[in-house]
Amino acid sequence: MATVRIPKQKVILCGDYGVGKSSLFRRFTNNTFVTDTDRKSTLGLDHIDRDYTVGDKQIKLQLWDTGGMERVASVTSSYYKFAEGAILVFAMDNAASFHSLSQHLLDIVTYAENAKIFICGNKSDLAEREPQVSDAEVEAFCEQCHSLISATYKTSCKTSDGVEEMFRDISRILVDANRSKMELQALEQHSFKIDSAAEADTNEESSQCIC
Amino acid sequence: MNEEYDAIVLGTGLKECILSGMLSVSGKKVLHIDRNKYYGGESASITPLEELFQRFNVESPGEKYGRGRDWNVDLIPKFLMANGQLVKLLIHTGVTRYLEFKSIEGSYVYKGGKIAKVPVDQKEALASDLMGMFEKRRFRNFLVYVQDFKEDDPKTWKDFDPSKSNMQALYDKFGLDKNTQDFTGHALALFRDDEYLNEPAANTIRRIKLYSDSLARYGKSPYLYPMYGLGELPQGFARLSAIYGGTYMLDKPIDEIVLGEGGKVVGVRSGDEVAKCKQIYCDPSYVPDRVRKKGKVIRCICILDHPVANTKDALSTQIIIPQKQVGRKSDIYVSLVSYTHQVAAKGWFVGMVSTTVESDQPENEIKPGLDLLEPIAQKFITISDYLEPIDNGIDSQIFISESYDATTHFETTCLDVLDIFKRGTGEDFDFSKIKHELGDEDQ
Repeated sequence: MATVRIPKQKVILCGDYGVGKSSLFRRFTNNTFVTDTDRKSTLGLDHIDRDYTVGDKQIKLQLWDTGGMERVASVTSSYYKFAEGAILVFAMDNAASFHSLSQHLLDIVTYAENAKIFICGNKSDLAEREPQVSDAEVEAFCEQCHSLISATYKTSCKTSDGVEEMFRDISRILVDANRSKMELQALEQHSFKIDSAAEADTNEESSQCIC
Repeated sequence: MNEEYDAIVLGTGLKECILSGMLSVSGKKVLHIDRNKYYGGESASITPLEELFQRFNVESPGEKYGRGRDWNVDLIPKFLMANGQLVKLLIHTGVTRYLEFKSIEGSYVYKGGKIAKVPVDQKEALASDLMGMFEKRRFRNFLVYVQDFKEDDPKTWKDFDPSKSNMQALYDKFGLDKNTQDFTGHALALFRDDEYLNEPAANTIRRIKLYSDSLARYGKSPYLYPMYGLGELPQGFARLSAIYGGTYMLDKPIDEIVLGEGGKVVGVRSGDEVAKCKQIYCDPSYVPDRVRKKGKVIRCICILDHPVANTKDALSTQIIIPQKQVGRKSDIYVSLVSYTHQVAAKGWFVGMVSTTVESDQPENEIKPGLDLLEPIAQKFITISDYLEPIDNGIDSQIFISESYDATTHFETTCLDVLDIFKRGTGEDFDFSKIKHELGDEDQ
């Protein structure tokens, strides 16, 4: 691997329908917010890259949204594949969305067993007066999951509070986690993505990732 | 569910998912339903391994085969031709970004009880032990002819009209013997039987070119295989459809296809809910009274702890047993994938033998294939009907896909999808509009 490339990390959003996954995605994408879930604004968009600098390292965070599949069906298992990070999102004004996190967590450990897992309590602005999910409950949940949860965050997509801080922190954790892993991976034979641009590229090491 | 849609797609097999994706991308409002709890129907990859054993009513293997969820076992074995239609569809639709692939390491053909590497270029032709000295030279000349052949340039045809003369005539022109014809037609052009010999040569030349162009793309073999199994393919197209507004419902039984005036479809009913639609796209299992049986396919899934002998320990292989070698009318296909594709636990392999059924003892028919894979730790055999729709669906607006055939690649799958798309929308799917920016956006 002679070329210097910014390592790309796939991070997926998981959680119940309506907790604000697409709002987080939209904040990440162009830092906007729409009150009514207007699906058209993300139609056709399913992941977006942004670069972060952590110390002397650069990292490309690639955030993936579910595309609304969880509304009536389940998200495909392929959504989880190759994910390095997963953000479990619940709405702080909706206790049910918190209680179903364990189900989503199970999906993540099944299909993306190496992913770092984060918890994000969204809609913190709505929960200021009467939070439906207390900090103690979140803490207790993390304890139950042993060391599976890497970090927890509180965000408000409406006010943008905590959103950028969360993505920055996740980048930091992924960079730390990957230092040793990437060196290891470089030794293994890689699979690759099909890419029209790479057509007829008779590069002998075509087994490398050419995405 | 109680809404109106442009199209309702029933079943989440690969063909239906590709259609759903193509329709959503072109702006249609799509509802996609499957009666199963999982995506993929017949094109799913079964995980964990215990699930596969359960499916075949075999007692759970316990710890013998490593961790169950490291397994993703395909029910229908197929590879992608690197330069074939499915890869073009994947690129066109951007679904390629959801998947990662590996090249299949070896492509072999069976001759006289042994297997030999499929020779595709001049160098390999001369080194191959499939042919004698003089035959090698004749085969090399044939390959050079095919390589230089351009359909729009009659000068490259060299006094041979490929649209009028048949393939047998072209073989005779180069003096190729029956053996060479056999592996050329079946292992390079990938025909299932010998009918192509009497058809215009142009089609066969095209198919040999597809093989060699595919080989040129990633080396080793012309075939690709997705990490985590073929079940990733329908899921990728399902995600595409969802991203473009398609609605998904799993675990939803379909009780009735509601017809209106003149037998034209107006919706589907599940329980007391009715979803209205102008068109239906589905696999044969949703419309048993609108399909007929064309034949049978036998497939045997084999769990192995070793690569195939004489393949240089390849972790993935395709072997074609041409019909004549074993006195049959249709070829037997053997494929092998392994832990390197994340479809088996470390150290394990999944072999598949499949063919079109010709007798009332199909299990005996695949024996030459199974012999190549021995010793086999566990076998699972399925025999399924090959179904095709009884009409083209124009009158009813119900467009039905054919069952998956015994071929080990997706070319016929794509032809069926493109044909259905054309019947349903009245338009050809234009490959020339491949969106290059999709490949670029990741940069």
